[in-house]
Amino acid sequence: MEKVLEVNNLTKIFRGKDKQDFTAVSHIDFCLYEGECLGIIGESGSGKSTTVNMITRLIEPTDGNVILEGEDITHIKGKQLRSMYKKMQMVFQSPIESFDPRCTLGDGITESLRNNGLSKKEANQVAEKVLKQCGLDETFMGRYPHEVSGGQCQRAAIARALAVGPSVLICDEATSALDVTIQKEIIDLLQSLRASQGKKLSILFICHDVALVQNFCDRVLVMHDGVIVEQGNPDEIVKNPKDDYTKKLIESVL
Amino acid sequence: MSTPTIRKQKVKRTSMKTRLIIFGTLAALLLIGSIFSSHLTPYDPYLQDLSNAKAAPSMEHLLGTDRYGRDMLSRVIIGSRTSIYSTLLLVAIITAFGTAIGVICGWFGKWIDVILMRISDMFLAFPGLVFALAVAGVLGGGLHNAIIALAAISWPKYARIARSQTLAQKETVYLRAAKLSGSSTVKIVFKHILPNIMGPILVTSMLDIGTMMMELAGLSFLGLGAKPPTAEWGSMMSDTRSLITIVPWVTLAPGIAIFISVMIFNLLGDTIRDYADPKNREVRG
Repeated sequence: MEKVLEVNNLTKIFRGKDKQDFTAVSHIDFCLYEGECLGIIGESGSGKSTTVNMITRLIEPTDGNVILEGEDITHIKGKQLRSMYKKMQMVFQSPIESFDPRCTLGDGITESLRNNGLSKKEANQVAEKVLKQCGLDETFMGRYPHEVSGGQCQRAAIARALAVGPSVLICDEATSALDVTIQKEIIDLLQSLRASQGKKLSILFICHDVALVQNFCDRVLVMHDGVIVEQGNPDEIVKNPKDDYTKKLIESVL
Repeated sequence: MSTPTIRKQKVKRTSMKTRLIIFGTLAALLLIGSIFSSHLTPYDPYLQDLSNAKAAPSMEHLLGTDRYGRDMLSRVIIGSRTSIYSTLLLVAIITAFGTAIGVICGWFGKWIDVILMRISDMFLAFPGLVFALAVAGVLGGGLHNAIIALAAISWPKYARIARSQTLAQKETVYLRAAKLSGSSTVKIVFKHILPNIMGPILVTSMLDIGTMMMELAGLSFLGLGAKPPTAEWGSMMSDTRSLITIVPWVTLAPGIAIFISVMIFNLLGDTIRDYADPKNREVRG
């Protein structure tokens, strides 16, 4: 299998006051294969979100590099960086907050398409199509984020992420802010989208729910204090955890 | 010993709406009046008639005449244009300039932020009107220079508001989403940041209209604003202040005009601030 995303030696040290440095992520390596769904689990503060924020270049890594489809994206800037987002998109934890309160959902979804040079009409057509794929009709184009429910908004957020046709989709706790039934709907949606896109879509799924990861992911990384303590098949890890922290994490669920 | 009490002011939204409509209409009337002021004057405001100087208010001259026999009512009406227009121009300048500086500071941060904010601190360190006096003194009198002088001391307030609002916006999830959409900085600023920070800035500028009108009139009163014979309320008061004991109406008329317009704009600003306050807003869906 081909590697879509490769993370080498990625490190983030937050420089605090009084020279008290805090290492959020420490020299981690992993890769995401084509068409794979890779889960990252770990407690709050284990560095999961910092890792994905570095991968999406929302924060600058202290060390290490990120390679997306063979291209080193760790230090690209400006236009190059902006066009990189065609290949990698993200779904955030809080759906409603991830849309500008003063723009319609349609504006949010078409923004990336318009940035890629599509005309307003074309962008709207594409947006309506992906919205439909995500289970929303075109009337949602004109709605504002506060006018829809959390689940609907997350569907729109997924539609926004998929509109440009990325090869990597990062879900940062994408289901954590939703209640259980909606969580299942969103997971089902992601699963069906994966099935319909064939091998083209790889998902990096950040989550703290062990059961969810076990059901949804092909492979899982367990993070603790900024390092990857264990990785492998989710079923095996749940049945037979090797690392002490993983054991605790799984015990705390069951 | 009295215990401190928290007074909860419950403003009903309907009464707020009524106030908004009333003060909005009054302010609009004032603006429209000043636009068409040249058609509303009963007499030529610059026509001197020394035989009828210092006339008391009468049916012919409702507010009397000044020392050159010019009709005061006409002068007050025509003066509204100078006063209101220069105030609006001034507020527009400081709002635009201050917001631009503030957004630049908040967005880029680092040394740009440090340098621009220290400069704005420098302007804030001087007592406002004194600094304006100094600037107007250096540049010489005249309405334009008075506007420049007041603009120089007033923009830092807007820069600070815009900066702190921009910093708050930078932390929002939707801004990260906008970045991930591949939007350029310019697009992010104009599409996402400005619309979201304009509320508090507009409220501040509405409240500033009254203040700026007074300060401009103050500078004109001191002879550093509009020059006679231009009818401007501040300079009209200054012009006639020696006559206050003999013919009080010539001084009072422009004074009351300033008082009324400042009050209308202040009340409008207050109402808009209440209206924009999210705590007074109905809970949405």
